[in-house]
Amino acid sequence: MVRMFFVYASLTLLSMLSGSAESVLLQNGFVHTVSGPTITNGFVLIENNRIARVGNADAQTNIPANVRVIDLGGKHLYPGLIALDTSLGLTEIEAVRATRDVSEVGEYTPEVASWVAVNADSELIPVARANGIACFEAAPRGGGVAGQSALMFATGWTYEEMIVKAPAALHLFWPSMELNLTAKERVREPAKVKSIEDQQKERRSKLKALEDFFDEARAYAKARDAAKEGNSSTFKPVPAWEAMTPFLNGERPVVIHADDVRQIRPAVNWAAANQIKIAIAGGRDSGLVVELLGRHRVPVIFECLFVQPVRDTESYDHLFTTPEMLRRAGVKTIFGFGSGGFAATSLRNLPYAAAQAIAFGLPEQEALKGLTLYPAELMGVSDRLGSIEPGKEATIVVFDGNLFDIRSNPRQMWIAGREVSLESRHTKLYERFRNRPGPGSGR
Amino acid sequence: MTGRRHLASIFSFWCFVVGLFQTALAGHSEELLPPGFRPLPTGTHALIATKVVWKPGEELSNAIILIRNGRIESVGTNIAIPSDARIWQLKGATVYAGFIETYLMPDGAVAPVSTTDAFPVSHQSYAAGGSGFFGAPGGGTENIPVSSANPRIKPQFRSIDSLPKNESLRALREIGFTSGLAVPAKGIIRGTSSLISLSDPVDVRAVLKSDLFQHIALDTSDNETGAYPASLMGVIACIRQTLFDAQHYARVRNADLNSVRKRPEFNPALQALAPVIERKQPVMFEPGSVLMNDRAARIAREFQLSFAVVSSGEEWRRPDLLNGIAATFVVPVNFPSAPKLPNEEDWIQVSLDQLRAWDWAAENPAVLRRANRDIALTTYGLSDKKSFRKNLQLAIDRGLSEQDALAALTTVPAKLCGAEELLGTIEAGKLANLVVVSGSYFNPDSKVVAVWIEGRMYRVGDEDSKIAESETAAKPTEPDATPAKEEPEIHLRPPGAVADTVDSASTNRVAEVQTNDASKNPRARELQKQRVARILLAERGPITNPPSLLIRNAVIWTCGPEGILTNANMLVSGGRIQQVGFFKAEPGPDTMVIDAAGLHLTPGIVDCHSHAAILGDGNETGWPSTSMVRISDVLNSESESLYRQLAGGVTTINLLHGSANPIGGQNCVIKLRDGAAPEDLIFEQAPAGIKFALGENVKQSNWGEKFTTRFPQTRMGVRAFVQNRFVAARRYLQEWDAYRASRNSGLADAIEPRRDLELEAIGEILRGQRWIHCHAYRQDEMLMLTRLMQEFGVQIGTFQHALDAYKIADELAAAGIGVSAFSDWWGFKYELFDAIPFNGSLNRERGVLVSFHSDFSELARRLYVEAGKAMKYGGTSPDEALKFVTLNPAIQLRIDSHVGSLEPGKDADFVLWSKSPLDTGTVCLQTWIDGKKYFDREHDRQRTERLKQEHADLIAKVKKAASDGAAKNSGASGGKSFFSVSLEHQHEGEWRCLHE
Repeated sequence: MVRMFFVYASLTLLSMLSGSAESVLLQNGFVHTVSGPTITNGFVLIENNRIARVGNADAQTNIPANVRVIDLGGKHLYPGLIALDTSLGLTEIEAVRATRDVSEVGEYTPEVASWVAVNADSELIPVARANGIACFEAAPRGGGVAGQSALMFATGWTYEEMIVKAPAALHLFWPSMELNLTAKERVREPAKVKSIEDQQKERRSKLKALEDFFDEARAYAKARDAAKEGNSSTFKPVPAWEAMTPFLNGERPVVIHADDVRQIRPAVNWAAANQIKIAIAGGRDSGLVVELLGRHRVPVIFECLFVQPVRDTESYDHLFTTPEMLRRAGVKTIFGFGSGGFAATSLRNLPYAAAQAIAFGLPEQEALKGLTLYPAELMGVSDRLGSIEPGKEATIVVFDGNLFDIRSNPRQMWIAGREVSLESRHTKLYERFRNRPGPGSGR
Repeated sequence: MTGRRHLASIFSFWCFVVGLFQTALAGHSEELLPPGFRPLPTGTHALIATKVVWKPGEELSNAIILIRNGRIESVGTNIAIPSDARIWQLKGATVYAGFIETYLMPDGAVAPVSTTDAFPVSHQSYAAGGSGFFGAPGGGTENIPVSSANPRIKPQFRSIDSLPKNESLRALREIGFTSGLAVPAKGIIRGTSSLISLSDPVDVRAVLKSDLFQHIALDTSDNETGAYPASLMGVIACIRQTLFDAQHYARVRNADLNSVRKRPEFNPALQALAPVIERKQPVMFEPGSVLMNDRAARIAREFQLSFAVVSSGEEWRRPDLLNGIAATFVVPVNFPSAPKLPNEEDWIQVSLDQLRAWDWAAENPAVLRRANRDIALTTYGLSDKKSFRKNLQLAIDRGLSEQDALAALTTVPAKLCGAEELLGTIEAGKLANLVVVSGSYFNPDSKVVAVWIEGRMYRVGDEDSKIAESETAAKPTEPDATPAKEEPEIHLRPPGAVADTVDSASTNRVAEVQTNDASKNPRARELQKQRVARILLAERGPITNPPSLLIRNAVIWTCGPEGILTNANMLVSGGRIQQVGFFKAEPGPDTMVIDAAGLHLTPGIVDCHSHAAILGDGNETGWPSTSMVRISDVLNSESESLYRQLAGGVTTINLLHGSANPIGGQNCVIKLRDGAAPEDLIFEQAPAGIKFALGENVKQSNWGEKFTTRFPQTRMGVRAFVQNRFVAARRYLQEWDAYRASRNSGLADAIEPRRDLELEAIGEILRGQRWIHCHAYRQDEMLMLTRLMQEFGVQIGTFQHALDAYKIADELAAAGIGVSAFSDWWGFKYELFDAIPFNGSLNRERGVLVSFHSDFSELARRLYVEAGKAMKYGGTSPDEALKFVTLNPAIQLRIDSHVGSLEPGKDADFVLWSKSPLDTGTVCLQTWIDGKKYFDREHDRQRTERLKQEHADLIAKVKKAASDGAAKNSGASGGKSFFSVSLEHQHEGEWRCLHE
C-alpha cells in the first residue's frame, strides 16, 4: 500500500525518450557552454545521446569515423532552454474552458500531479520548442498548496516519455498579504468590507494555517518512517501527506508564488527556519529584498519583466533592472512568464524577457544561466541538463545568431540526444498560405 | 403652471389636516392656529449682538438687528427698539447671515460622483434590448428619443417632490445653515433643484425658489442592469444626445402642426429641458473629476448653457483647467483623514497619488480662489456634518481667507441661487436668517448657539447657553452695550497665520460653555498647515524646448525614401524637422547640439491600437452600436502610462474604444505630450475614425452564459446588424439632404430633422469622412466586412489584430485595407488558433500595409522589440520592419504627412537609442515630440529620486498625523476615504486590453 506512492520517483532516473542514438559532431560554431567560457570556434560531439566532448577547434582530433558531421558555419550553440512555472501542455485555448487543466479546486491539494494531464500533442509545445525551449515545467496553479509540478521535455509521444523529473517541485501560492483598502463608497456591499483590524487577523490566521499544514506533514512523515521501521501499527497512508514528504527536508524545492514584499519576506524566513528549499516565483517585489534573498540563497523565478511597475514612485525600468539588482546580491534569477494561459502561448518569447534584463544591466552570461543552468539546478537536474559539458544529456539548440537577439532563429535542436523538429502549427500554416496562388494565377 | 397645480394637489391632504388657516410657519405671528396646536410665537425681535458681520468683510460692533414678520426690518448700531419687540441680548456673540447649503441632498443620498464607480453589472438589460435599443428584440422603434426610455434621464423630476427630512436638517442648522439648495440625487440628468428654508418641519412651504437648476451628473453608478450608458463616455454621449433631442423637441412642438407629417409625440423629459436649452434655467453639473469639469464646461459651451460646477474636491490636480471654466464652483470640504495601518510594510500599498490627494485636499478651496473662481462651500460628502467646521479651519489654514469662506457660505450661494434679495447678508428687507456664534465662526472652539430662520429661532445644543437667552427687561431704546469695552475684539485671522484658537476661547466670556478638549489638537493642526506634496505637474511636461536642435553623427533610420543613413545629421527648429542627411551642420548660437555618435535616431513610435489614456471604461457595453460615443470626451491626461510609453520611444497613439460592439465608439489619436491638458494631447490633423469589431467579442462568446439574447449572437448576425445600421444611416443622410433641399428651395417652415449622433457618425463613414478601424481575427469575418462596406462604397481603414489576414492578403491588398496586428499573439481564444507570427511579413510581401500595435500599455513600451519580430518571422528587412511601428501605422491613421518618418517638414517627433532599435539590447535614451524633449533617461534617474523623496516625506507626515490623532480631530471623520482612488488613476497599470 505504501509503495504505490513512490512510483513517481523512479521516473526521474533516466530519460524515456525513444529514438536511435546517433553520433553527431557539431563543428565550427560558437559554443555557449554556460558552465565554462564560450568557445568562439568550437565543436561538440554527441554520442549515446550525451555530450561526449566539447572543445576548441584545435582540440577537434580523434573524432570517430562514423559520426554525422554538421558544419555550424559560425552559428551559436546553446544548451536547450528550460522554462519554469509554465502551464504548457495543461492548457490549449485559454478562453475555451474544456481545454484548461491548470487549476484545481481546494487550498491544500499537494497530491495533485501536473504531469499526468500534460497533453503531449498540444499545439503549444512545438511552438515554444521552435524558439529553443527544450524543457518546461508543467506547474499546477491554485490558491495555497496547489500540487506537484514536473519538468518535461518539449517532445515525446506520451507524457511519460516527456518526463525529465517528476515530481520536480511543490507549488505553493502564498496567501495574499494585500490589504483591501477599497474606499467604502466604491464597494457594492459596504457592510461586507472587513476592517483593517479584521484583515490583519485574517492574514495572521492564513499564515498560521499554512505553517500548521507543513507541521502536520512533518508529523506524518515521522509516523511513516516509524511505520517503515515497523514501529507503528496504526499508520495509514494518506495521499496528500505522502505527496508532501519530498518537499519537507530540502530534497526537492517548494516553489512559492509571491509578488508582494509582504509575502516574499515571511516566505523566505519561514523556509529558512524550517530548512525547506524554496524558490520565489513571480517575485515582483524581489528587488526590494535582495539582501534577504541573497543571504538565504533563494533563487527567484522572475516573471515580471513584461509587467508595468505597480507603484507610482517606481522608475519606469524598475522591473527591467530587478534581475541585475538580484545578481548583485548573489541571487540567481530564472526567467519565467508564470503559468497563465496567455503566458503559455507566448512562452517562445522567454529569451526576450532575459534580453530586456540584459538591456538594463544584467550581464549576458548571467541571463543565459537564468534560462539554462539555474532552472536545471532548481529542478535538481543540473547533472543532466543546463550546460554544454561532457557527460550531460545532449539537449542543445543551434541559433543562427545570438539567442537574445530577436532577429535570430533556431536552426536545429537536439533533446536528450535526439534531433527534434522545429516545425509547428505556425510554420505549417505559414508554408501553406505562403504558397497560396497569387491573384491572376487562376486559383 | 400645470406643475404648480399638481403640487398643490399633493399637499392639499396635509394642509387639510393642519388647517387651512396656517399658511406660513416661520414667524408670521398674525396667523392664528386652530386650538390644539402650539400657538406661534410673536414675530418681532430685536437682537442685540456684540458683533454683527452683516456681510463678508463688513461688521458692526454692538449692533441691533430688528426682525419683523420673518424679515430683517433694520440693522445698525443706533436703532430704536420698538416696544413690542422681544429683546435678545447676545453678549459676546457674533452674528452672521444664515449660511446656505448649495448642494443639499435628500436623506440617505448617494456619495459624490467622484467617489463612486461603475460596479460590475449583471447585464440583464442586454437581453431585453436595454433601454429601448433600436436593433434588439424587445426594444422600441426608430425615432424614439433616447431620453424617453432611459430611467436615468429624468429632467422632469423636481426636488420639491422629495425634500429632505428634518433630522438631516438639524445637523445642518447646528453648524449654521439656514437655507439650502435641495437637489435631486440620482441619475444622469437628474431634475431640478429648489432653494428651501431649513425650517422644522420642512415641506413645500419652505420652498423659497423652485426649479432653480437642472442637475446633470457624469454618474455611471446606479446602473445595475448595465443599460446604456454604462461608461463615462457613454454618459457624456447620452447627455449630448438628450440636449439635441430637447432642442429638436422644442422645434417640433413650436412648429405649425400642419407642416409636420407625423404627430409629434409627447415627452415629459424633453419638455422639462426646454428652459435649459432656452437658457432660462442654468445647469449644475457634478462632473466627478477634475478632467470632467472641463468636459462639462465644453458641453455647456456647445449648447450655450449657463452653468455651475460641483467640485470633485480635486481641482488642485490641474488648476490650469480652471481657466476655461467660467462658473461658480460648489466646493466640498470632505477631506480624507490619515489612516492607521497594521504593519510598517503595509505603507508600501499607499501610492504617492493617494498621499498627495490627502495632503492637497484642504488647499482645494484656496486653489479655486487663487484662480479667481467664485466658490460656494458645501457639506456634501460629509457623513458627519460636525466635521465641517474643523475642515473649514483646515482650508483656512491653507490659504482660504475667512472673508472668502464667509462669502462662500452666504453671498456667493445667494447670488448663485438668484436669491440675493432674500439671503446672503444681514440687511433690511432680507429674510431673518442668522447664525449666532459665541465667537468667530471660523474658530471651531466657538459655538453656534442658535440659528434664526425666517424670524424663528432654533436653539443649537446646550439649552443653558447664556448667549441665547432673551432679556425682555432690558431698556427699550438702548442696547446693553457695556461688554464691548471689556471684551477684546475678535479680528478675522489673516490667511495662514497662526490661529488664535486658544486666545479667543479663553478670553471670550461665553466660551467656557462649550469648550471641547477633544477638538483641540494644535500639534496636528500645525502639521496639516504645511503642505508637503508638490504640484502634480512638477515632474511632467517638456524637459527641454530648444529653439533649434542639431543632432550629429547618428545612425538615422529615416523610415522615408532615404532609408538608413549612417553618420548623418538632423536639424530641428520650430517643432519641425528642417534637414536630414549629410548636410554641413553649422549650429547657430541658440542651437542645441547633441553629438549622437554611436547612437541611433528613429521617428517616434506610432501605436495604432491603444487604450492607455481613457478615463473610465473604454468600452460602452450598453448597446451593440455606440458610434455616438467619443474617446475624445474622456482623454485621461493624468495617466502614468503616458510617461512610461515615452520611455519606450512612443510618441503617438491611437486610442480606440473596446471591442464589445459591432459598431464601437469614435477613436482619438493623441501625442504623448505628458503634462498637457486633455485637449492639448489631441493630434489635431488626424482624421476622424471609429472602432468596429467582429467575431467572438461582439457575439458575446466569452461574456458568460447569460448572454445569449442580444442580437447578434453569430457572425451571420454581425453582418445583418452592421448592414441595418448603415441602411439606417443612409436614410438619415437622405432625410437631412431632403431637409436642406427644401430649405434651399424656400420652404422656410421645414423642420430640421432630429440630430441622431449614432447615425450621424455612421453617416460620416458613408461620406468617407470617418475611417473604420475594425477589430477582427478570422478571414471570413474580415472578408465579410470588406464586401459589405464595398456595397456601401466605404473604404475600410484598417483591420485591427487581423491575425488571419495572411490567409486573405491578396484580397486585403486589392481592397487597400491596412493590417494593424499583434506581432505574435495567438491561441488564447478559439478565433486566434490559426494566428501565426509570420502574418506581418507575409502580408507585407503580398502588398498589404502592415503595422504592429500594442493594445496594451505595457507592451506599448516595447514596440521596438515587436518590430524586430517582423525580421525574425518571415525575414522582413530591418528598415521595413521598423516601419511597422512608425511610418506604416502613421499611414494607416492618415497622419503620415506629419509623423512616421524623419523627413523635412514633418513634426520633430523622434527617439535616440543606444543601439539599433531592433536590437533587443537597445535602450531608449531620449524621446522628443514637436521638437521638445519629453523623456531623458538621465533625467529620469533624478525624477524618480524626487518622487521617492516626496513619497517618503508624505509617509512621514501621514504617520505623524495618524499618531497625533489628526485622524480623529482635525480631519474629516465623515469625509472621503483616504484610500479613494481618483478616477484618473483607477485603471493605472491594469491589463486593459478591452477584450483583446
